[in-house]
Amino acid sequence: MTSIKKILVANRGEIAIRIMRTCREMNIEAVAVFSEADRTSLHVRYAHEAHLIGKAPSNESYLNIEKIIEVAKYCKADAIHPGYGFLSENATFARRCKEEGIIFIGPSPEVIVQMGDKIMAREAMTKADVPVVPGTAESISDEKEVFEVIKDIELPIMIKAAAGGGGKGMRLVHKESEIESAVRAARSEALSSFGDDSVYIEKYITSPHHIEFQILADEHGNVIHLFERECSIQRRHQKMIEETPSPLMTPELREKMGQSAVEAAKAVNYTGAGTIEFLVDNNLNYYFLEMNTRLQVEHPITERVTGVDLVKQQIRIAEGQELEFKQKDLSQKGHSIECRIYAEDPDNNFMPSPGKIYKISEPLGLGVRTDGYVYEGYEIPIFYDPMISKLIVWGKTRDEAINRMRRALYEYKITGIKTSIKYLERIMGNAEFIKGDYDTHFIEDHQKELMDKSGHKDISDMVVIAAFIDYLQKISSSENSSKDFVTPQSRWKNIPYINHF
Amino acid sequence: MAIEIKVGDRTAWVDLRGQDGNLLEIEVDGKIMKVDVMHTADGTFSILEGGHSYNIELVPHKKPKKYTAYSLYEEYDVEIIDAEARYLLDRGSGAFGSADKEISSPMPGKVVKVFVKEGDEVKNGQTAIVISAMKMESEYKVPVDGKVKKVNVKDGDTIEGNQVLIELE
Repeated sequence: MTSIKKILVANRGEIAIRIMRTCREMNIEAVAVFSEADRTSLHVRYAHEAHLIGKAPSNESYLNIEKIIEVAKYCKADAIHPGYGFLSENATFARRCKEEGIIFIGPSPEVIVQMGDKIMAREAMTKADVPVVPGTAESISDEKEVFEVIKDIELPIMIKAAAGGGGKGMRLVHKESEIESAVRAARSEALSSFGDDSVYIEKYITSPHHIEFQILADEHGNVIHLFERECSIQRRHQKMIEETPSPLMTPELREKMGQSAVEAAKAVNYTGAGTIEFLVDNNLNYYFLEMNTRLQVEHPITERVTGVDLVKQQIRIAEGQELEFKQKDLSQKGHSIECRIYAEDPDNNFMPSPGKIYKISEPLGLGVRTDGYVYEGYEIPIFYDPMISKLIVWGKTRDEAINRMRRALYEYKITGIKTSIKYLERIMGNAEFIKGDYDTHFIEDHQKELMDKSGHKDISDMVVIAAFIDYLQKISSSENSSKDFVTPQSRWKNIPYINHF
Repeated sequence: MAIEIKVGDRTAWVDLRGQDGNLLEIEVDGKIMKVDVMHTADGTFSILEGGHSYNIELVPHKKPKKYTAYSLYEEYDVEIIDAEARYLLDRGSGAFGSADKEISSPMPGKVVKVFVKEGDEVKNGQTAIVISAMKMESEYKVPVDGKVKKVNVKDGDTIEGNQVLIELE
């Protein structure tokens, strides 16, 4: 058993800070790495140590395996935590860490290869009697093959990156005419996100629920699950809202799926924290979708209802310790919801909206947690993910959690860029969502209501007044001769905010 | 000092009628409103009108006299039209371009591919350029039938938000 004293966090943004927080609680030193675009990022400032690893594009920095290993050796880190995305599911990286005697906080390279390659993962699951979605057993080489495949498993189909995850390199195809561009787009996205352009095909399940199970496995053969997360609220196959427990779940199904998740992990000798994603149809049939061999973005809701710090467990497992608890020790207390705050424009097809943050007011109060990394005056780089923070709430019941989330979203204000905050607030007020009656088509199906911003008073008069006062203030501060308007310093302060710009 | 302020599609005429500290009498489009305005130290305009509380934030643009205003639920483009701005507008050097003859991206990013070149005859809806930002690719289409006058960017260029990428005749 090793004792980890120093961890290099091979990531950026909110997840880097999230990991470093636990490091601080465990008296472990945290090392940040950053690209040229991230010099001002908060994770650089939060860490004990920070090292530049390259240029802004991720393949020249956060995906540069040798550079990161070099820094880890230079600063004598015992372990590397990869976070999610970037190198978190890169077997070569895990292998290189091992070769250099650095602990990779995650499963073995062999397991990453097996589960990271969605095609091999499907094979392993089939062997372990975990149900899988019908689809191709191998990756496809060109569009022509797709036309062959759809003779067997009819449209609609999903084209997915074999190395994929997080909705990247994934395209839904309804019509034959869409196949060519979908394959090309999936390929190119897969190549830029994962450095591997192989894709495969899966039957598309209509009206699916995306429900995943969190598991923890130690090196001593103990595997437990920490219940489900309902992740069906998605746009562009990317999760937007997650909650636990799932409103669809029954105690029997939870028992069954939890058991399948544990079996799946055991089948591949999994170690560390992992997530088994399932698709569940309306008849409560479930299919293995993929396994994420890393920490998930939405892990905080599981932490909130179980009271378990998942990053701490990852570190303990990496040290070779046995799990501190057994399945029977765990239960879900209350209800937790997470909303992902994206820098994007919900009114304009969720187009990314990078830029400079002008002002932030973060929500506080009972049962509210935010995991973020941006601050006032921070310029969000164009090179990385548009997610800027996660808002997590807890309530005794689902209703209480929804009301609390609505309140927290009301408090959350970010200006200077466009964000999904108000859109999320409208979801919290949606009758179907409140009933818990939704699947992965929720956003598409409710687009009209969710875009509807009527019902708010027209306050353009107030905007006119604010702009007018601002104008008068500027005039009177530039020419003292103005008799029209008095700006008492005690009343209207000359605020330094302009200096941010 | 009365001026005009453009808020979204609305152009409002506004004047200060009276002031007692932070209590103001302001006329907006002929309507007189009594408001209590505080420009708080964190940069928000806190306005009380008839007991209702409003918080407005003004985020200045790079161009002077232009802002984005944020209320709780809405976002507005704001432009101050005072004597100077009007003079510039009348001379035709104002900020209003013929937006439908231009293709621009609202966000900063990188040019993945330009599909048109100068002199090309283009059709409404045809893909003109692909921009990538935050790992997302977006296609920009030609807004009207016409001819490409100028292409200001090439593949691989880094662009700013609202930069004019392609001009049409």
